[in-house]
Amino acid sequence: MTPPSASALLEAKALTREFDEGHVKALRGVDFSIKEGDFVAIVGPSGCGKSTLLQLLGALDRPTSGTLFYRGISLPDHPNPAAYRAREVGFIFQAFHLLPTFTAAENVQIPMFETDRSASERRERAFELLKLVGLEHRLDHFPSKLSGGERQRVAIARSLANEPSLLLADEPTGNLDSENAHSVFDLIISLQQEQGRTMVLVTHDPTIAGRAGRTLRMMDGRIVSDDKR
Amino acid sequence: MTFFTVVIRGLWRRPLRTGLTLAGISIGIAAVVALVGMSRGFEKGWQVGLKARGTDIVVSNRGGSLTPKPFDASVRDRIAGLPHIAATCNLLVEVTSVEESDLMILSAREWGGFAWNNLELVSGRMPRDATEEAAVLGQTAAEVLKKKIGDPIQIETKKLTVVGIVKGGALVEDGSVILSLPLLQGIIGAPNQINAIDIGVTPSTTEQQIKELTRQIEQLVPEVRAVTVSEHLSHNEGFRLVKAMSWGTSLLAILVGVLGVMNTMLMTVFERTHEICVLLAVGWTRGRIMRMILYESALLGLFGGVIGVAIGAIGVQVLSATPAIKGLLQPDLSIALLGLSVVIAIAVGIISGLYPAWRSSRLNPSQALQAG
Ligand SMILES: Nc1ncnc2c1ncn2[C@@H]1O[C@H](COP(=O)(O)OP(=O)(O)OP(=O)(O)O)[C@@H](O)[C@H]1O
Ligand SMILES: [Mg+2]
Repeated sequence: MTPPSASALLEAKALTREFDEGHVKALRGVDFSIKEGDFVAIVGPSGCGKSTLLQLLGALDRPTSGTLFYRGISLPDHPNPAAYRAREVGFIFQAFHLLPTFTAAENVQIPMFETDRSASERRERAFELLKLVGLEHRLDHFPSKLSGGERQRVAIARSLANEPSLLLADEPTGNLDSENAHSVFDLIISLQQEQGRTMVLVTHDPTIAGRAGRTLRMMDGRIVSDDKR
Repeated sequence: MTFFTVVIRGLWRRPLRTGLTLAGISIGIAAVVALVGMSRGFEKGWQVGLKARGTDIVVSNRGGSLTPKPFDASVRDRIAGLPHIAATCNLLVEVTSVEESDLMILSAREWGGFAWNNLELVSGRMPRDATEEAAVLGQTAAEVLKKKIGDPIQIETKKLTVVGIVKGGALVEDGSVILSLPLLQGIIGAPNQINAIDIGVTPSTTEQQIKELTRQIEQLVPEVRAVTVSEHLSHNEGFRLVKAMSWGTSLLAILVGVLGVMNTMLMTVFERTHEICVLLAVGWTRGRIMRMILYESALLGLFGGVIGVAIGAIGVQVLSATPAIKGLLQPDLSIALLGLSVVIAIAVGIISGLYPAWRSSRLNPSQALQAG
């Protein structure tokens, strides 16, 4: 194992991920380093391994080989991956993945159960976050009563619940029409810029990728270019 | 929103299924309450009945069914001389059908014996002598048989007259048809046969001495068994069978409950695979997921238990008021039994939730969230 460099928030070396006993090689050796506050876009054709990489970064999955460090801690060997997901990472999915039996405000509170916040603090914070994403008038709506753009805003508020230092977004605007896609993306950009969070964003949209400070282009399980601006 | 809200929401997502599962558990628990409550009530009723007529020891034939086998009346003379015995009373007791009632206690008592003393006349009079063709009825028995003073009553092959209605201070007494021993012996054609001897001890006798006395009686007359009133029914094989059957049936009901809850909880875990994976993705620990599922099934048990206890208690009250059973037993619905039933229901919930909870905690979030 190579020791991680001190300044990196995330550092991957020779990262691979295989499925079906090696028949599917989703990642074939990926190296990169992401600094605190970076805004990184990951682009590439369908099936090149973007989502797989994002799940490794979020400790939702474990690599087959290689190393992956978060602030010097090896993620595959993390003693408490749930705590890492709860406190350090905010995930935003293309399909929103809200819980259908909970209201907008409740969905935002779900990750807060893993913190010491009291019930009233949780409610208070959910309200603030929904206000931040422009949904203070939709607190008690269930996801089925919200538009696609509103659902993704709720999901964004949820991803911020425990003030994560790392936001991982997998095609967050992929399920939205262009108008909603624009406003949701503007929201994501403002969250990244105003609060200085590290953001790794998977997208097919070149104009969205163009606004990131750095673009990793992937192809067939490898990073083929790394453009900084 | 609290964790409890999350748990409740999990149960509310399929109200019909939750309702049906609750119905399943509550019926099981109602069966426990009813069966155990009735058999305990039966046991207690006998004890109170025997105590009410001043009996400390019952001598009857070994083994036997609900009513003991007959033996010769001379047995009494063999034990009468033992220490501490204050009084004895020969009896012939049967549980038999009398007219419209299929289960009636027929209690024939030695004329002049102490078992008559505690009967308090409500109306009418006692039989005039040992051979008068008359019977007195306990209050409940009179009600069940729909008899008034002066009505005829058919006992086996003989028509007797109801001359009195009595209060016996205990359910068994109130539910009995009481007549003189020689009369019943005459009716069934068994002049010297009895099947029980009630023994009252002298006032200062200790429990220890009563125990010793029962041992001496059994030594002296090996073909009988002498038991203290508190042990009386637990020595009766018929009653032991009833008790075993009521617990056995209850156990079966509980088992059905466990399978029902487990099935529901497994279905809910499979159905919510995606949501559970979302919870894992936003940082919930596997322990918290397991707790959520376990609390849900424990809560099913608690609600089912409370509903079941209510159904069971009401059901038993209704049942014990039906003419077929009335007077034979007063169900024992003690707080302890009701509490125990709820505890059993909660245990059913927890036990049935263990496997589904374990399954839920083994889910892998990455695959479920990959698609779309
Ligand atoms: N759980 C899995 N089991 C088997 N193969 C998988 C699994 N997950 C991903 N793969 C495969 O790994 C490869 C990379 O998948 P991944 O989802 O990372 O691609 P992607 O770049 O996100 O594609 P898209 O742009 O379509 O979302 C694909 O060939 C996919 O079929
Ligand atoms: Mg993908």
